[in-house]
Amino acid sequence: MKAWWRRRDPEVFEEITTHLEMRAQLNREAGMTPEQARDAARRQFGNAISIGEEMHRMHINTLVESVVQDLRYAARSFARTPLFTLTAVFAAALGIGASTAVFSVVDRILFRSLPYPQDDRLVSLGMMAPLDTNEFLLAEPYFDWRKHQTPFQSITSFTAGIVDCDLTETNPIRLGCARVEANFLPTLGLSPIVGRNFTAEEDLPNSAKAALLSYGLWQRRFAGDPNIPGKTIFIDGQPVRIVGVLPARFEMPTLGNPDLLVPEALNEATERSGRFLRVFARLKPGVSLEQARAAMQPLFERALQTVPSAFRKEVYLAVRSLRERQIHDVRTASWVLLGSVAAVLLIACANIANLLLARSTSRRKELAVRAALGAGRQRLVRQTLTEAMLLGLAGGAAGSVLAWTLLRIFVGIAPHSIPRLEEAALDARVLLFALAGSLLAGLLFGVAPAVERPHVDSLTGTRSAGSRRTLLRESLVATQIALSLVLLTTAGMLLRSLWKMQNVPLGMQPEHVLTAEFVLGKQGYSQDARLLRFFSSLESRLQSIPGVTAFVISDSLPPLGGARGRPFATIEVEGQPRLREGTGGMVAWRYVTPGYFATLGIPIVRGRGFDGSDRAPNVNSVVLSESLARKMFPAGNALGHRIKLDDWCEVVGIAADVRNLGPLQQSEPEYYVLRKPMPDGHFNNQNPSAGWRGAKVAIRTTVDTRVMSEWVKREFAALDPSLPVTIGSMSGRVSTMTERPRFNAVLLSLFASMGVLLAAIGLYGVMAFLVGQRTQEIGVRMALGATPRTITKLILSRAALWSLSGAMLGTLGSVLATRAIRTLLFEVPERDPWTFSLALPLLLLIALAAAWIPSWRASHVDPAIALRYE
Amino acid sequence: MILKTLARGPNHGFGIVLHIQEASQGLLTVEEGSLYPALHRLEREGLVSAEWKVTPNSRRARYYKLTAKGRKSLADAETSWSSMAKGVTKVLRFA
Repeated sequence: MKAWWRRRDPEVFEEITTHLEMRAQLNREAGMTPEQARDAARRQFGNAISIGEEMHRMHINTLVESVVQDLRYAARSFARTPLFTLTAVFAAALGIGASTAVFSVVDRILFRSLPYPQDDRLVSLGMMAPLDTNEFLLAEPYFDWRKHQTPFQSITSFTAGIVDCDLTETNPIRLGCARVEANFLPTLGLSPIVGRNFTAEEDLPNSAKAALLSYGLWQRRFAGDPNIPGKTIFIDGQPVRIVGVLPARFEMPTLGNPDLLVPEALNEATERSGRFLRVFARLKPGVSLEQARAAMQPLFERALQTVPSAFRKEVYLAVRSLRERQIHDVRTASWVLLGSVAAVLLIACANIANLLLARSTSRRKELAVRAALGAGRQRLVRQTLTEAMLLGLAGGAAGSVLAWTLLRIFVGIAPHSIPRLEEAALDARVLLFALAGSLLAGLLFGVAPAVERPHVDSLTGTRSAGSRRTLLRESLVATQIALSLVLLTTAGMLLRSLWKMQNVPLGMQPEHVLTAEFVLGKQGYSQDARLLRFFSSLESRLQSIPGVTAFVISDSLPPLGGARGRPFATIEVEGQPRLREGTGGMVAWRYVTPGYFATLGIPIVRGRGFDGSDRAPNVNSVVLSESLARKMFPAGNALGHRIKLDDWCEVVGIAADVRNLGPLQQSEPEYYVLRKPMPDGHFNNQNPSAGWRGAKVAIRTTVDTRVMSEWVKREFAALDPSLPVTIGSMSGRVSTMTERPRFNAVLLSLFASMGVLLAAIGLYGVMAFLVGQRTQEIGVRMALGATPRTITKLILSRAALWSLSGAMLGTLGSVLATRAIRTLLFEVPERDPWTFSLALPLLLLIALAAAWIPSWRASHVDPAIALRYE
Repeated sequence: MILKTLARGPNHGFGIVLHIQEASQGLLTVEEGSLYPALHRLEREGLVSAEWKVTPNSRRARYYKLTAKGRKSLADAETSWSSMAKGVTKVLRFA
C-alpha cells in the first residue's frame, strides 16, 4: 500500500515523511528513544495513508480518474459475463453494420443528388408509347415544344442512344458518341472544365464538326493535355475539332457514359421523324411538376396529331423528375431494403435494451451494496452509462467492420443494372446514426434502474426486484418476434418468386450454347461488299469448326429484349382486314440464319424451320411464333398463308413461344425472317443500317465451352484481328435476367435470418432471466409436488403467450409489408398461403426452442437448493 | 489560522504546526496530519503557493508562502472573525 502510494504521489509522500522525521527529531531531543520518537510522531500525525489519499484526490483530476475506474470496472464486469457481453455486442454490431451498409447503398440510389446542380428542377419529358419503356419525342413535335413551351427555363434534347464511333488515327479505338443539342450542358447546369461548350453555329446541320471529350478519354488518350481545345481528331475518318473537356463526374441523364459528345445538328427544316429524341428540361423557378405537366398538355395534344390515329389511345404525356426516370424500377426494391434493415435495427435495439434490462435488474443488489458503501447516485449512473457506452462502442466498432464487409458483398453481387451502386461508400453519418440508436437503447434501459435510488430492500432479498419490468421485457420480445415474422414472410415471398422465375419455361435450351457479339466499325467496313464478305466467310468458318452442332448469326438473341419490334397493326395479313384501331401491341422480330431454332433448341411446332432453299433470291419465307400465328390466324391455318412485312412473305413454319422479354413479362408475339444477301449486294431488311453491323452469334456445341470459345476467338481473329468480340454463354445471359430479384431475395433473406436469430436470442434471454428470478417459486412448487412437466409447461406457456401475440402482430405487419412489395413479386399471390403458413410455424418453432432451454433448466431445479436461493 | 501563521513569512508544514501550538499555548492541538490536506486545499484555491526548499538543518521541505490573494482573504477572515467574535461577546455579556 505504501509502495503504491509512494509511486503514485511522490511529492505528498515526501512531504509527510519530512514532517514525521522533523517531529521525531524534536521528540528525540526531548529525550525519547528513536523508536518512541517515531511512534509518537506517527501518533501525533494521524493516519498518514488516508491523509495522503485525501490529498491525492484533491490533486489528481478526479473526473478522469473515476472514468478510468468506471471503465476498468465495466470491463471487469463484462469479462465476468462473457455470454451477455458477446450477445449484446453481436446484436449491436448486426444492427449497426447491416443498417449502415444498406443505407449507404440505398442512399446513393434514392437520396443522393445527381451530378447536376439543382437536380430537383430537372425533368424528363416526352411521349410514352408501347414502342419504348421510357418517354421519347420525335423531331417534329420537339421543334414545336421547344418553341411554344412555357414552364421551363430551358429545354434540350439528345438523340437516343450512345452510338459506336471509331477514333481513326494510329491505334484506332472504338468510342461511344452521344449527339446532344448545343444547350444540353447549360440546361443540365454543367460546363466544360477545359475549353468551351458547342456554339449554336456548331449545332447547325452541315457545319464543321466539333466534339467534347469525356474526362476519361482526355486522360487516357491525351494525357490530360490542357491545350487540347482546338486540336483536330479523326472520327470515322472525318476531321473533328475538339472544343472542350467534360467534368470528371459527367454522366448522361440516361446514365450512360459516352466518350465523346458531338452536336446533334437537328435540321428544323427537314427533320420529321427520323430520330428518337430524349428530351430534358429545367423548370422555371416556382413551377411545380404538376403545373409543368398541365402546361405541356395542349402541346402534347397537338403532337398527338402526328401519331397515326390508330395508335393515339396508347400514347400519353410523360413529365417526370429526372431522378424518377432514373430510379423508377429500383425504387420499390430500395424502400423494401430500407424497411427491412430498419426492422433489423429495431430488433437489435430491442435486444440490447432487453439484455441490459435483465442485467440491470439482476444487478440491483450490487448497486444497492455500492450505494450502501457510499457511492453517490451520480456515480452509479455514471457507472452504468460507462457500461452502455462501452457496449455501444464495441458494437459500433464491430458494426463498422461488418458494414464494410457487407457493402463489398452488396456491390459484388449487385446487378449492373442498379444505377450508382458502384459509387456506394460507407456513410459516416449513417454509421453515427446507427451507433447513436443502439447507444440510446442501451442508455434508456441500462441507466433507468440506476437513476432510481437503489433501495435498501434490495439488500434484504425478501423481495425479488424487477417483476414490474417483466411486462416491458416481454412486450419487447413480442415486438421482436413480430418484426422477425414480417421479415421472414417478405423474404419468403421474394425467394418463392425467385424460384418461380428461375423455373419459368423459357421455351429454349440455353445449355451448351456459346454466344459471341461484335459490331463492325464504320471505318473498316464502309462498303456493303466488305460487310457481305465478312458475314459469308464467318458463316463458312463457323461451319467448319469441329464440335459445332448448330450455329446462328442473328441481330438479337432471346431471352432479354433487344429484338426489333413493330406494331402489330403495321403487318398486313393476307385475306384479312387490317386492324381498325390501336397498335394491336408490339410484335418482336429477328433477322436470323437458318440454324436459329436448332441452335437455341426452340421446337418447331408445325411446318418447318428455315433451310437453304429459303435463301434463294426470290423466296420470302417467314416463321411465326405460336402466339403470333394464333393472333393472325385464329382459325389455325397459318401455314402457307402470306403476310406483308416489307414484301409478301410465306409462312413456312410455326415455332414455339420463347420468353423474349425476360421471365417477368409475358412474351411478345414474334416472327423470324431469314438473313440473306440480296442480288444488289445488300442484305434485306437492312434499315436501320447500323443494325446489321452488329451481330450476335450463338453456337451449340458438344465440346467444352471453354475450349470452344478459344476456337471461336481464333476464327474471328483470322477474319479481322482488330475486331473486338465479346464471348459469353447462353446460360449466363439467362441468369442475368434474374439478377435483380436474386439480389433482393438474398439480401432480404439475410436480414430475415438476422432478425430471427436476434429475436431468438432475445426470447432466450428473457426466459432464462424469468426462470432465474422464479427459482425460489419453482422450488416451492416442486416441493409441494409439481412435476418437471408442469414446471416446463408453466414456463413455456408464458413464452408461448408472448410469442403468439408477437406472431399475431407480425402477421398483420406481414400483410401490409407484402402489399408494399407486390410489384416485386412474380406469380406469387400477395397473401401467398404457402409463405405465410411456413413462416409462422417456423418462427414459432424457433421461439419455442429458444424458450425451451431455460424451461428445461427450470424443471430440473433442485427444490432444496432453490429454496435456499437468495 | 494557517494563513495568519504564513503571514509572518514562508514556512513548511511542520513549522506551521509548531507555530500554531506555540501561539495557542498548547490549547489547540489537532492531528498534525490534517494540516496537509488543508494546506493543499489552500494551494488549489490560490491562497498560498508552495516550493521545495532546503531547511536550515539541510532537509528538503515544502515551503508555503502567502499569495496576494491569500493576504486579502486573510484580511477578510480577520474582520469577519473579529466582528463575529464581537457579536458573540456581546450576546454572552447580555445574557
